[in-house]
Amino acid sequence: MPLRLPLILVSCFGLFMLLQFFWQATFLDQAYGEVLDWVQIIYLFTLWVGAVHLIKLHLKKSQQKKKEAFYSWVTLAGIFSMLGFGLIGGKEQGSLFSWIFDNVQVPLQATMFSLLAFFVASAAYRGFRARSREALVLLLVAGLVMLGRVPIGNLISEWIPDLANWILNFPSMAARRGILIGIGLGSVATALRIIFGVERTYLGR
Amino acid sequence: MNRQLIYILILAAITVPLFLPLGLKHRVTPEVERFYQTIDVLPAGSIVLVSFDFEASTVAETRPLAYAVLRHLFSNNVSVVSLSTLAEGTGLGYNFLSEITEELGKKYGEDYIFLGFRPQYQATILGLGEGFSKVFPKDYLGNELSSLPLAERVKNYDQINLIISIADGDLPQYWVDYAQTRYKKPVLAAVTAVMATSYYPYLASGQFSGLVGGLKGAAEYEVLLGKPGLGFKGMESQSLGHLMIIILIIIGNLTFLSQKKRI
Repeated sequence: MPLRLPLILVSCFGLFMLLQFFWQATFLDQAYGEVLDWVQIIYLFTLWVGAVHLIKLHLKKSQQKKKEAFYSWVTLAGIFSMLGFGLIGGKEQGSLFSWIFDNVQVPLQATMFSLLAFFVASAAYRGFRARSREALVLLLVAGLVMLGRVPIGNLISEWIPDLANWILNFPSMAARRGILIGIGLGSVATALRIIFGVERTYLGR
Repeated sequence: MNRQLIYILILAAITVPLFLPLGLKHRVTPEVERFYQTIDVLPAGSIVLVSFDFEASTVAETRPLAYAVLRHLFSNNVSVVSLSTLAEGTGLGYNFLSEITEELGKKYGEDYIFLGFRPQYQATILGLGEGFSKVFPKDYLGNELSSLPLAERVKNYDQINLIISIADGDLPQYWVDYAQTRYKKPVLAAVTAVMATSYYPYLASGQFSGLVGGLKGAAEYEVLLGKPGLGFKGMESQSLGHLMIIILIIIGNLTFLSQKKRI
């Protein structure tokens, strides 16, 4: 019974969503609106589960006598201070919450992402080698697209952006389409397996 | 070549154009032109839904994109209903919107509103089709939606002329899946460069009515607007950055070939 109930629920809701998409009826529209509300309510509870688990994990880690315990303290301080600032001072522009977000979180995350430029350059220098004919083709295409996607490519030759656009619009798009169709078919197959109870890994089995 | 030297070369290539502009010319691509024209033909008073679907890490790219698109919308007297499907995009989206509306003298509640954030984007996108006030009874600032003149004009997607997703991930795809397919609303996507290639099939199939990709797209959009901004500036740095990486790859390969010959 503990296993059957979620299977029945998933099947019913899966079939309902399928039915309401293809069949127009007032009662289905109303039920669909209710289902959407429930999706958001359930999602909010999963957020709580995630947050509580994260806090419990870092509380445990912060008690351990390891060098990494410091990072757990930083995480906990961040969670509770932002929660406090948001609850007490609000999140409007000019509030402490908003100031920390704009002046700490945004620059920190943007900096972390910007570091990629340096790592990519270093990795390209070390690893992007024409070891075979295929690697040479990859190297030439990558160079062409990199130049074609910036105005300096146009400055070198008008052909470079045209060629880069052709690569993006034809070979690259064909490959991408193939992947998308594959993903689409795979999603349909997985959805049907879940609806009919064949796929049960989401239950931890 | 050691790692430190590579880092210094990249740093120089990126920072020099910020102080010494190169004055590079931008050629407008057809996808950006389509994006621009789709907005440009909207009559004054149309309502566009703008979704800030990005996080703080990509702000260097999403800010120029958002500025260019919002400037175009407000200059054409199009009303904007905006929201965010990601928590971090909420604060950033509101800031961008406030800066541009202040610059162009637009009024909150009449010319634009910001609904804020709701978790679970699939349910949010689908829920807006049932009713905006059902998903967002209050806006980001805590006003009742019924108290805002613009919100009174918008019940669901029927009153929306266009949906624009400014994104750094796969959110534009969800707008196509759940808003374009189901409610037949045209969708435009302004995305980071790394995501742009993934969306060319959607553009070719007509599921996107236009696509602006990365700083390059933002710079091209600024050309069309006739107002150079952050995209122009950033693109010069990116140009030299790309060139430096290509030079490094060539040096790396020449070293590799010379070593191979010696063996």
